[in-house]
Amino acid sequence: MPRLGDVFRKIAFWKRGENHQTVDAEALRTAFKARYHSFKLLLNANNKALEIMSEMETALRGSRPFSMSFVRASCTAVGVNVFLIVKHLNELAPEKYTTLFERFREIQDQINGVLAKRAPPRGDRLVLPFDEIDKDKADLVGSKMANVGEVRNRLKLKVPSGFVVTSAGYQRFFEANDLQNEIDRRLQASEAGELDQYYALSADIQQLIMRSRVPDDLAEEIMEAYRALERETGEEEVRVSMRSSALGEDAADTSFAGQYRSELNVSPDYLIEAYKDIVASKYSLQAVAYRRSRGIMDEDISMCVGCMVMVDAVAGGVTYSRNPLNIRDDSIIINSVWGLPKSVVDGSVAPDAFIISRREPLTVIDKDIKTKDYKFVCFPDEGVCRLDLTGEGRELPSIDDAQAVELARIALQLEDYYGTPQDIEWAIDKNGQIYILQCRPLKQTEVAEKVHGGAGRDLGREHLLLEGGDTASSGVAFGPVYVLRKNSDALQFPRGAVLVAAQALPRWAPLLSLASAVVTEQGSVAGHLANVAREFSVPAIFGVAGATAALETGDEVTVDADGLRVYRGRMEHLLVAEAPRKNLMEGSPVHEVLREVIQYIVPLYLLDPDSTEFRPRNCRTMHDITRFCHEKSVQEMFSFGKEHHFSERASKQLVCDVPMQWWFINLDDGFREDVPGKFVHLDNIVSIPVLALWEGINAVPWEGPPPVDARGFMAVLLEASANPALDPAMPSHYANRNYFMISRNFCSLSSRFGFHFSTVETLVGERANENYISFQFKGGAADYHRRLRRAQFVASLLEEYGFRVEVKEDGVFARMEGFDEEFMKTRLRMLGYLLMHTRQLDMVMANDNAYHHHRSKMMQDIDSILNPNLTSVEHAAAH
Amino acid sequence: MDAFSVLLVDDEVEFLETLVKRLAKRKLQVTGVTSAEEAIGILGEKPVDIVVLDVKMPGMDGLEALRQIKSTSPDVEVIMLTGHANVEAAIQGMELGAFDYLMKPMDIDELLYKLQDAYKKKTLRKLAR
Repeated sequence: MPRLGDVFRKIAFWKRGENHQTVDAEALRTAFKARYHSFKLLLNANNKALEIMSEMETALRGSRPFSMSFVRASCTAVGVNVFLIVKHLNELAPEKYTTLFERFREIQDQINGVLAKRAPPRGDRLVLPFDEIDKDKADLVGSKMANVGEVRNRLKLKVPSGFVVTSAGYQRFFEANDLQNEIDRRLQASEAGELDQYYALSADIQQLIMRSRVPDDLAEEIMEAYRALERETGEEEVRVSMRSSALGEDAADTSFAGQYRSELNVSPDYLIEAYKDIVASKYSLQAVAYRRSRGIMDEDISMCVGCMVMVDAVAGGVTYSRNPLNIRDDSIIINSVWGLPKSVVDGSVAPDAFIISRREPLTVIDKDIKTKDYKFVCFPDEGVCRLDLTGEGRELPSIDDAQAVELARIALQLEDYYGTPQDIEWAIDKNGQIYILQCRPLKQTEVAEKVHGGAGRDLGREHLLLEGGDTASSGVAFGPVYVLRKNSDALQFPRGAVLVAAQALPRWAPLLSLASAVVTEQGSVAGHLANVAREFSVPAIFGVAGATAALETGDEVTVDADGLRVYRGRMEHLLVAEAPRKNLMEGSPVHEVLREVIQYIVPLYLLDPDSTEFRPRNCRTMHDITRFCHEKSVQEMFSFGKEHHFSERASKQLVCDVPMQWWFINLDDGFREDVPGKFVHLDNIVSIPVLALWEGINAVPWEGPPPVDARGFMAVLLEASANPALDPAMPSHYANRNYFMISRNFCSLSSRFGFHFSTVETLVGERANENYISFQFKGGAADYHRRLRRAQFVASLLEEYGFRVEVKEDGVFARMEGFDEEFMKTRLRMLGYLLMHTRQLDMVMANDNAYHHHRSKMMQDIDSILNPNLTSVEHAAAH
Repeated sequence: MDAFSVLLVDDEVEFLETLVKRLAKRKLQVTGVTSAEEAIGILGEKPVDIVVLDVKMPGMDGLEALRQIKSTSPDVEVIMLTGHANVEAAIQGMELGAFDYLMKPMDIDELLYKLQDAYKKKTLRKLAR
């Protein structure tokens, strides 16, 4: 705003009164508008910046999930808005605050430094055969496949042959198609989204990946590795399984259970498509929601894909080297089914369970043989199919005790090797050969007390709705039931509801960050959903027969996952033991980045604007700059009314009954139409804040000065003789006149009533976040002590009605901002009333009784102005 | 506020078309183009009050376009728009004189307010001369 300075110099010149004609009203208007616009924009940016800072703080406390794109978008928005604040302050006061730009840059660079930290470079092989893989290759092949290689090459356990498309291969694929940028963009666009938006987002991104082309070099390496498998097995077109092995999924102690896709029984024709399919499953709904809820950075996850010769399994399953549900139980637990292990893993079939004591000789100490309605087998051509089991086979154990013991021995060997409990997926082929398909560390849950109907649990039997099943995740919770019958039901899943479903399907996993508890009719406590439920500490019971029929959406129930019961209503005696919900973000990489950047953004060190330390160079954070600029901008802006008294020629006197003079200057669009001559009528004024103030000014007739005790009157006389400017008889230019500078949404009122001086500056319109009122009140005729009392009196009234108030000696400075138009108007009415009725109150301020009397009288008046519908009796009652 | 002219520049055709329609409904004179090169061509032909510029586009990117617009038509206010928050690029854009920097998805009213604010600023700057 290059020319503004000129205008202000002219105005200053004119203000000294040497020539009243040098600056016309037009120049004043232009200067005002430009300044005012800058100020408004500054306030806007100020509010926005503070809003984002507060969101960042809330996020850091971690009760709701957020992702890296939230952190990046927040930092960007803070940076942009703080820059704008500095820029607009420098427009209000040219050249006065330029050092702030440098300070801003320095802080911004620190933030950039935190955000720019990149993951370390990895190896460069696009494809690696199993023979070359061990745990040292985890950075290239993901931990799952590194384990597979380790088991095969170091432990010499039987693992099918195969190869891994590495993280370098993944990067190659993504870079060739510039996928990461596009995906980041889409993730950002959905940041604030609820679950239903994730469905579309997830589908979009997956399609994007499926449409992308695997670059030739990568495709050739994959096919080359595959042909090596054909040679090794001596089998042409040997079928393979393909599994994700995500890199980074183990970060922050998360076991990313089954959020990604696997492809079974893949033929060579489909190899490349299947590869893309699994990479795309990095963006499955479960995975996206899961990463977000656990604070895992999207770009930190590389999808490695393991390709393994397919085992056409007779039986398969999962071994836990210890009880996952009870850290004190060291039994080995095996879940097994007929056919491929798929149905144990996805929770669709209740599997046989074998419990084996780890003491030599290993023996099966308990088993639970279920009726297995179907099994998964390989199609001859490609893919797998579900076969219904009929006849007596379905009732028979899917493995015999000798196989169970052999599996247990393998589990012990793996646990011993890794030094931690293991979760092992295996398959047995038609020759009885056991193959290890994958293994990973097992997370055991601390169980408070596994009681079936123990003390306390028998209370409330009359409220019992359901009983039975298996504990999939320990705990007790209360909430309204929500029955999931079809996929689309998930979209409406309410926060805090009890998830009830027929099957424990992995696709419900994203809901576990919302659910208070889970009850299903079928499903294995070894399945993915159970894993995720434990991770999220959501109490869950699986295998409760008749749950979807007995429970109806909306029923309020208490789920006791340890007692295996569901009660109607709230069972307080069970809920008291409820464990506090984990802060899932704490310690995650995203949380860590937020914690680091926030220290350059949110803390406020510049506290006292009156201190000599309140300077640009002491700004250490974005918040400091924001605070500093806000303070200075208010000073700069509100000096407008002080610095720019206007020519009376340009102003119009209001025609009204109030026995005082009210002068108006229209800065922009405050008049309905231009008026010739010296006067303006009220109906030609369209300024929203003026009209509200005016209502307050006229609401309660002024009863004249309050009765003054003799000392009060003397105080006035003494003060007046000591300061001639206060003498109402002096022909002071501005005594007893009230000046309004207005636009449609703005007004600056300088008012001199008798001995005291007040200003109101306010902006009121439909953009609530720009609305504000500033009110200053100062002076008076009585002695200092009484003026002080009056200042406190006015301050206490203003505080009562929500203003932020500061009292400095006998001056009152009050502010209010950010409320909607209607609310701001009520407060302006109140100020209008105060302007009229605090006049000369200082004269009665010596006396406590009078103080309280006036206070309650004024409160009553104000309430009747703010709530014209209440009767006076109700007003009296309200006090 | 008077109707003013807005030039939207974004390579995402679907997004662009929707935005053009929605802003036109709000009584603005809106033109949409899909590249920075086209935008600069239009600015040479007819006056435009405000340009809304996507940061990341194939060909000339948003920052370069901003640089060129600010040097050839300094009176035009430019609002940057991005789907991919990048702090450094955002601050660069601000330092190059962008009026503001918005992140997708944004509220249509928020964009409208910004457009009004930008237009007002442009008008005021003219008056002050």
